[in-house]
Amino acid sequence: MTSVKSQVEAEPQARSNFFGREGVRRFFPVFLLVALAVAFSLTSSRFLQFNNLMIVAQQAVVLLVAALGMTFVVIAGSIDLSVGAIVAIAALVAAKTSGSIGVLAILPACAMGVVCGLINGLIVAKGKVPSFIVTLGAMVVYRGVVLYFTRGAPVSIENEAFLDTYSGRTAGIPNSVLIALVLIGVAAFMLNLTVFGREVRAIGGGERIAHLSGIRVDRAKILIFVLSGLLCGMAGLLQGARAMAATAQLGEGLELDAIAAVVVGGTPLTGGVGSIQGTILGALIITILSNGMNIIGLDPYFQNIVKGLVLVLSVFITIDREKIGIIK
Amino acid sequence: MRIVAEDLSRSFVNTRALSDVSVALEPGRVHAFVGENGAGKSTLLKILAGAEQPDSGRMALDGEPYALKSVADATHRGVGLVFQEITINPSLTVAENIFAGMLVRFRRHGLLRRGGLNRAAQELLDSFSAEISVSQPLSSLDLGQWKCIEVARALSASPRAVPFDESTAFLNHREVDIVLEAMRALRRQGLIVAFVSHHLAEVDAVADGLTILKDGRKVGDYAANELSRDQIQSLMVGRDLSKGLFPPRAAQASSDVLMRFDDIADKHLKPSSLALGGREIVGIAGLKGAGGQRILEIAAGAAPLQSGEMRLSGAPFRPALPAEAWAKGVAYLPGDRTGEGLIVGASVLDNLVMARPPRRGPLFDHARAKTLSDALIRRLSIKTKAPQTRAGALSGGNVQKVVLGKCLAVDPRVLLLNNPTRGVDIGARAEIYRSLREAADRGLGILLASEDLNELIGLSDRILIMRAGRIVARIDDPASASEDAIIRHMT
Repeated sequence: MTSVKSQVEAEPQARSNFFGREGVRRFFPVFLLVALAVAFSLTSSRFLQFNNLMIVAQQAVVLLVAALGMTFVVIAGSIDLSVGAIVAIAALVAAKTSGSIGVLAILPACAMGVVCGLINGLIVAKGKVPSFIVTLGAMVVYRGVVLYFTRGAPVSIENEAFLDTYSGRTAGIPNSVLIALVLIGVAAFMLNLTVFGREVRAIGGGERIAHLSGIRVDRAKILIFVLSGLLCGMAGLLQGARAMAATAQLGEGLELDAIAAVVVGGTPLTGGVGSIQGTILGALIITILSNGMNIIGLDPYFQNIVKGLVLVLSVFITIDREKIGIIK
Repeated sequence: MRIVAEDLSRSFVNTRALSDVSVALEPGRVHAFVGENGAGKSTLLKILAGAEQPDSGRMALDGEPYALKSVADATHRGVGLVFQEITINPSLTVAENIFAGMLVRFRRHGLLRRGGLNRAAQELLDSFSAEISVSQPLSSLDLGQWKCIEVARALSASPRAVPFDESTAFLNHREVDIVLEAMRALRRQGLIVAFVSHHLAEVDAVADGLTILKDGRKVGDYAANELSRDQIQSLMVGRDLSKGLFPPRAAQASSDVLMRFDDIADKHLKPSSLALGGREIVGIAGLKGAGGQRILEIAAGAAPLQSGEMRLSGAPFRPALPAEAWAKGVAYLPGDRTGEGLIVGASVLDNLVMARPPRRGPLFDHARAKTLSDALIRRLSIKTKAPQTRAGALSGGNVQKVVLGKCLAVDPRVLLLNNPTRGVDIGARAEIYRSLREAADRGLGILLASEDLNELIGLSDRILIMRAGRIVARIDDPASASEDAIIRHMT
């Protein structure tokens, strides 16, 4: 028998080395966030002002809430492209119902998100259709439903109680930020402390293995898409409240920003591993990048080029090539 | 051609894989390197084939210094390695696989000359009587034939020496025979053949000489037939394992039936009936596809039961999902440990408690999971730095112990095992056998489908032999059965 040491020689040695290659890899999102904040505050004195920071936070909220759900989906090895469309459909439901039930419009909005997620989950899990295809189709259908009912015209939200609750401020802090903090807590709790969270990781680590080990993979996958839909329902509600209207274009492209936030935060698309903290960092990086580029007055036509490059650079640095066998 | 290596040493991060090992390989002879996992046999073979570089030591090829930088370098010098892993790409043809990377040889005006390619490939296959036609689709060939395609690939560089790195690890009996036959054919052509294997039956079958390694050192060089299998095993392990490999059978198996199968059948399985008692290990012998693995899959809820009936402790049992089987205490260890058994990216602890995580309501109970996994790590002697170590970082034998631990963690009533020790070294195997017998003694019923006849004879209380989806023979006293008798029923 060889020594115990030789059995584990493949483990990375530099785990605790903060400034070593392994350290750079693991903490790159933090470095990047700090570097962006420093760079923007040096170029513009407005960046670090409380008001601007609150704007950043508000801007980040919708993306972050949608990306929380996406984190579960991606860790389970799937993808949800219908995120932006669910946000739009939920915002429409909130707009239509807020006139009569006010604050309680949160219920139909979230229910709409749950229904959309349930449809996605059922087709993925029971119909055995790849999530990329299912949610690609769902993205078009859900957005189409919004267009059909609005005929492309915005639906404004005028209920004072609704707007005060979901886009007002409490002690100077936007309510939407407080709501997002609660959702972050719930998501982190679910991912890290519940049996469901472990099932999500196990499914992403190896779906067939999880299935043969007695995990109810279909049920968990349906729940994951329902969770993603529910969070998109919340995101739609907050977005509608902020815009004071639901439009057919609401949340367009949000699915890609949400995937980018998850991935920049260090959660690989191959599944099995990932964290809520990473997604928070990713959502902040993407929002600060946009906000900062606006504040320093960077040519808006140039901004997308920077965003795309940052995305690929982050993954280039954070990806753990030892643990990911196949790069597709 | 003659390869002489002297005083080869090789260290990895914190372990010495090879210490001052010398060997000489002669043309027209098959040379086997045997030893436990970690003994250094694979490292030695890889150094000879240029896949790894020694820290110190000399190699000479026909008296000329032989210092290799890469496998390509070795190929250039006439040494063509056959890898342990299957490296066939199923989306290419047989001929394309053989000449993968060298297709440029068959290019004319930018187009591939298929005729020339296929002729050259067929010639290589025929040169060692592989009985494969280049026109056959890869899906119609078995793994042994795939291995032969890899042999042909090694031969495409016209080597004078062909080392095989544990090439039979994932093959069944019949497939192994095909590879051994290929080795004999290469020997007849006067090539140097060297191979690494866990299976002494293979060594018996083809080797002219063998080198035993233990803990990175050479124990000795021996001629074939100089040592008995038991002697070789003792030298590999350094202690006498010939009697200790299999634990003693229970004095008497219980008479109460734990699990019953009445005429269960599906597309691949003719109506089959059997009964499994508590405290009993029932072995199922048979070639791949003979039906034993199918019975396990049906009982595990991994394949649907199409007709017939199963009963567990008298109650009807018809799991639609593996989850339902696990919930009733029927644990399943699948045949492919890294593809079906455990998540290599997850920790040892995560894998051990995966089937039934300790919980408080919806919450994962980390404290109890830690206690449970510590107990399993001790009970199965799993060699891991910590419970948090990534399962993929463990050696094959320990990975398999983790999968077995996952099964035992749910405190099962029935354990379904598909080739539980495939590719596992003899030390870990002895520990797995001991754990299985212990579990059986506590009242568990074990159904063991295996392609390792030695294991079936040594471990089972009864053996069923299957052929083409049917149970064709039952052996109630395995201790007095011979491998030959079983093979006759199997084929």
